[in-house]
Amino acid sequence: MSSHYEAPIREPLVLGEKSYADISADVAAPVLGKANKSWWIVFTIALIAFLWGLGCIIYTVSTGIGVWGLNKTIGWAWDITNFVWWVGIGHAGTLISAVLLLFRQKWRMAVNRSAEAMTIFAVVQAGLFPIIHMGRPWLAYWVLPIPNQFGSLWVNFNSPLLWDVFAISTYLSISLVFWWTGLLPDFAMIRDKTESPFQKKIYGILSFGWSGRAKDWQRFEEVSLVLAGLATPLVLSVHTIVSFDFATSVVPGWHSTIYPPYFVAGAIFSGFAMVQTLLIIMRKVSHLESYITVLHIEYMNKVILLTGGIVTVAYGIEYFIGWYSGVPYENYTYLSFGAATGPYWWAFWALITCNFIVPLTLWVKKLRRNIMWTFLVALIINIGMWFERFDIIVVNMSKDRLTSSWTLFQPTFVDIGTFMGTIGFFFVLFLLYARTFPVIAQAEVKTILKTSGAGFKKLRADHGDNVSHVQHVEEYPAEAGPAANVEGKHFDSPFVNPTDEDLENSNVDFGQHQQKIDTLIATVGTFDPALQKQDNLKKINGVGPLMEQKLHQLGIFTFEQVSRMTDREYDLLDDIISEFPGRAKRDDWAGQALLLKNKK
Amino acid sequence: MKTLINIGIAIIVSASMVSCFNDKKPNYQYFPNMYEPVGYETYGEYDIFPGQQEAMMPVENTVPRGFVPYEYDDSTEGLELAKAELQSPYEVTEENLATGAHLYTIYCAVCHGDKGDGKGILVTREKFLGIPSYADAGRNIVLGGIYHVETYGLNAMGSYASQTNEKERWQIAMHVMDLKASLKGEPGILETTKAEANTASETEPK
Repeated sequence: MSSHYEAPIREPLVLGEKSYADISADVAAPVLGKANKSWWIVFTIALIAFLWGLGCIIYTVSTGIGVWGLNKTIGWAWDITNFVWWVGIGHAGTLISAVLLLFRQKWRMAVNRSAEAMTIFAVVQAGLFPIIHMGRPWLAYWVLPIPNQFGSLWVNFNSPLLWDVFAISTYLSISLVFWWTGLLPDFAMIRDKTESPFQKKIYGILSFGWSGRAKDWQRFEEVSLVLAGLATPLVLSVHTIVSFDFATSVVPGWHSTIYPPYFVAGAIFSGFAMVQTLLIIMRKVSHLESYITVLHIEYMNKVILLTGGIVTVAYGIEYFIGWYSGVPYENYTYLSFGAATGPYWWAFWALITCNFIVPLTLWVKKLRRNIMWTFLVALIINIGMWFERFDIIVVNMSKDRLTSSWTLFQPTFVDIGTFMGTIGFFFVLFLLYARTFPVIAQAEVKTILKTSGAGFKKLRADHGDNVSHVQHVEEYPAEAGPAANVEGKHFDSPFVNPTDEDLENSNVDFGQHQQKIDTLIATVGTFDPALQKQDNLKKINGVGPLMEQKLHQLGIFTFEQVSRMTDREYDLLDDIISEFPGRAKRDDWAGQALLLKNKK
Repeated sequence: MKTLINIGIAIIVSASMVSCFNDKKPNYQYFPNMYEPVGYETYGEYDIFPGQQEAMMPVENTVPRGFVPYEYDDSTEGLELAKAELQSPYEVTEENLATGAHLYTIYCAVCHGDKGDGKGILVTREKFLGIPSYADAGRNIVLGGIYHVETYGLNAMGSYASQTNEKERWQIAMHVMDLKASLKGEPGILETTKAEANTASETEPK
């Protein structure tokens, strides 16, 4: 790192003056710690939704598809809407981990792990619908070309529904392999970090004996690149194939050559919206604000803007062609009494509002970097993209060529319950993932720490690109050897033993600081020796025996108390104990204490 | 060693799966969705029918389309009447004779013998005796009489009306006439009818 050119215009991707150890500690914290109450609450809600959905699925399969709101005209509605919606959501994960890898986007590193997890969990949800919307799901294995007793009766390879089978199953397996490969170094990190024998055993198995040798890393990188190269066309083709379900039909409104790219753009659009939704919560809950920064959110918003723009152009083209083709049926679908003015006008305008109008606000930099607003927009896009699929499927089918078969669709509670169930299942999986998997690819983030970490960026800004930040140690005179150092030439400052500090005479001056101490204790809380146990504060990096003694004098005995400190308390502390100004803030005592507290 | 264990497991698994199949009862089925009929099968057994038989008797004295009731009595007088006046509604042709011969081997030859000499398999094996030859001098075997006997049966012989339809019985009767002629060394029924037809057309005034 003696010389490195990094454009100063780039904002740091890792905030706080993180070290490699800090990254490992931050990523491992949720895995090594215990789940808190809010996690259990959310998990319970998700689990109930999942079980309810499971009940709906069992009811559907055992009673029949007739329990859904489908009719003879509209044979696909919520089932395939949800299927396409979930598949679309899944696409962002692979896009982030594969396409952005090919484009060498460093910002992907903090988000790719969770985005990939989201892909896998979303594809699992999507994969349910092709099965449960079957009339006879127990014969689903007939979609596979297996030699059999019916004179080796095979499937017809002309149906896009069969291509879906191959597309989705391939997509899931490739994503899973790609994800797992990336997880190996991180699982190994957890394996090496944990103190619980059970976790050590589990993560030992999961990490496949990863030892991080140079040869392993070299092959790891190559595999990642090859898989990224394979996953990229896969992402494009999977949603293309999904779009073929509609585009290859003769239904006016479906029969359209623009569908493949338009669906893919929509998939990335909705997928990124879902990533935003999840990561904005996750960075807060798992204390990953230093890694998933506003910059990441802004970048993802830019992708949303781009793909949202593509989708909007596609809407325009659909309308233009509807008019330009001169086909009266297309006109019905799009203009006359179709989408915009027909009985489903509300779904259509919900789509236009959610997918076109609301995302336009992201052109404003202030809003693009506003986390709350981003969260709101992401939610709205998710709703809008659901409506897009609903509109495409239901509106186009409700008014087909024969007026005698025009009808409307009304969902039943089973339709809705199944959808809610998949959302619940998704969150069950995602919440379990967030507590058991390293949610940030720490191995990858460590590779950008020195180029894009805030601390290192500051060093470069202060000292220039070519300054080495490694302390220069004078070489031993070669001919004299190490023995030449006997006169203390190379260690001219006296070696200080920190334990030599005078513990006896380091009392806090209570008289002078009583008011400040009171304010401090008021915020962090008092310690009651009758009810609580004091913690070993020396575990906090930066707290020595002397500092611990002083903290004890102030009345601070537990991690809990330290974890409540904010900038104001740090300043008070600096005023009271003037020996190490700024130390507590630099070392992030509160953050460390929080981790230690959770680990207890 | 490992592969041996794997092979062993595979054998045990396949053997236990095969062992579930019992030859003495129908095999297990995987989701028999449309395996059992919803409608009534022709010879099915159902509680709703008298005697649990789907095959019920039609109401008496009803005539289905395409069927003509046989009007001679099942009695000696009926037989004599049939012998005297009953004529075949079908022409004697090679085709009819061939079909008759075919049906004869199925339904009649087992007792009457392929040649009609009363020496069928059951007689030669002495399962029972007393089958006369068609050439028997004491028997007046004519077309109408054969048809009557086929329809009702006679003495030890049962009715064949349920196995054969009306046309088939006439075809068999033609073949029986042929067999009788060949046993007696006379010309076959085809030649005699042709000859009759020729003489009839010659004697007819022009």
